Amino acid sequence: MTAETTYELAISRVFDAPRELVYQAFVDPDQLAQWFGPVGFTVPRETVAIDARAGGYQRFVMISADDPSLRSPIDATFTAVIENELLVGEQEVLGIPGFEGVAKMTLRLEFHDEPGGKTRLELRQGPYSQQLEADAREGWNSSFSKLDALLAGRA
Amino acid sequence: MIAEDRLSAVFGALADPTRRAILARLADGDATVTELAEPFPISLPAISRHLKVLEHAGLISRSRSGQWRSSTLEAAPLKEATDWMERYRVFWDASFDRLDAHLRRIQRERAAERRAKQAQRDAEPAQEHS
Repeated sequence: MTAETTYELAISRVFDAPRELVYQAFVDPDQLAQWFGPVGFTVPRETVAIDARAGGYQRFVMISADDPSLRSPIDATFTAVIENELLVGEQEVLGIPGFEGVAKMTLRLEFHDEPGGKTRLELRQGPYSQQLEADAREGWNSSFSKLDALLAGRA
Repeated sequence: MIAEDRLSAVFGALADPTRRAILARLADGDATVTELAEPFPISLPAISRHLKVLEHAGLISRSRSGQWRSSTLEAAPLKEATDWMERYRVFWDASFDRLDAHLRRIQRERAAERRAKQAQRDAEPAQEHS
């Protein structure tokens, strides 16, 4: 259990490439098909369709190399897009225990300049709807600081 | 592994700021309904309803000792919820390893293209200035 236990996933990672290039890797279908998913999964180019603007979409299918019947389709809607800076998307996901009924997964990607022509990617992902996200801003994380300490000791 | 519907109940219970504040208070130690209600401008019955939701999600347990019934934080469902999100961390870390390699490759290719174009221009200086 880490010190930053929350119900929102946060990942920060620096890539040795300029911001525009990292951003393009997410919105250019030819590029996305080349890298998305862990090793052992492929994204066939013909399954990828991306319209990178607010209200646009990002669709593709991840397929397991070991078992091609294992297909994981992604169909996300962009809710906010700033070229080379920000991508926010949400997807209704089946089989994910977010909430009963519609489970909505929100994914936020921020692209920041780092010294030396590098890029810091900030990812946040949460199993909550837009309304819940508004609540979350009131202190989703801060409310849990004490719980974190408790969990670190007990769980 | 707790059942997925239980996990839905956990995330649903955690979605409310008052309930998160109640959990944070209980992290300091057990408390009665009256003690839990103190920081909030809402009624005791409203607090009791929040406690029912938390209890249903397995996030708290409540003693049965009548009037001074107190609530206790249960850590296990919180850990399940966290573990569930952690599966996505593993997914992204693995994807980003591939993105890292992809970005290196594409930069090498573009640098090679630039060098090839430059070489072409150098070889045709007459056309460049015509």
